[in-house]
Amino acid sequence: MVKQPRCDFLEILRVLRARDVDFIVVGGVSGVLHGAPITTIDLDLVHSRTDANIERLLLALADLDAFGRGRSDQRRRPDRSHLQSPGHQLLMTKHGPLDLVGEVQNGRGYDDLLAHAVDFVLGPLSIRVIDLDTLIDLKEKTGREKDRAVIAVLKRTRDEIRTGRKR
Amino acid sequence: MPIMVRPEATPPRNSTPEADAAGPTHSPEGVDLTLVRWMLSLTPLERLEVLQATLWSIRRLRGEAAEV
Repeated sequence: MVKQPRCDFLEILRVLRARDVDFIVVGGVSGVLHGAPITTIDLDLVHSRTDANIERLLLALADLDAFGRGRSDQRRRPDRSHLQSPGHQLLMTKHGPLDLVGEVQNGRGYDDLLAHAVDFVLGPLSIRVIDLDTLIDLKEKTGREKDRAVIAVLKRTRDEIRTGRKR
Repeated sequence: MPIMVRPEATPPRNSTPEADAAGPTHSPEGVDLTLVRWMLSLTPLERLEVLQATLWSIRRLRGEAAEV
């Protein structure tokens, strides 16, 4: 049996922050950070596509031994052109799956999402995470079957947060 | 400083999900509100640890991960 990496999202985040990479956590992990009881296998990030940030990101991806998923016969390393594109880079790292997203719906990239991000402190780490309203909005706009159950949980989590604030 | 995440990490005993006598345990669409409230009682770091421990537990059940 091929040895699979143990999912350690915190370690991926730590490596990225150690290289001063600018990114925003989106997707299922962002929902978990907001308190939603959902499960996800991969860590989704929208990264800044400035030249300087892509240089730092390439160094971090080398630290993480990142390569493209889906081609078991080749370990294709992500390069500068991949990271500059608006598309999704589906990577495997030594700490688990990592998806790098250039743009989400309607061509919204890192700079567009910054106003919809909040800071989370994870021990010694401070990271940017998409806010819950925007996460729900993004998932609703995808219209995917797999997101429907998650949207219900995210909305209930938001309701509970709001109810808690009123108490 | 490296972050040590214990794969066996579990929430403190006193944060086990419990039905809230003052409110429903499930939403009309079936969302378990006790799990939502339990997760909201944790810090973001603890929430991420719960996720990672869950993934690790599932892999152990599937026989894909060795004991640590």
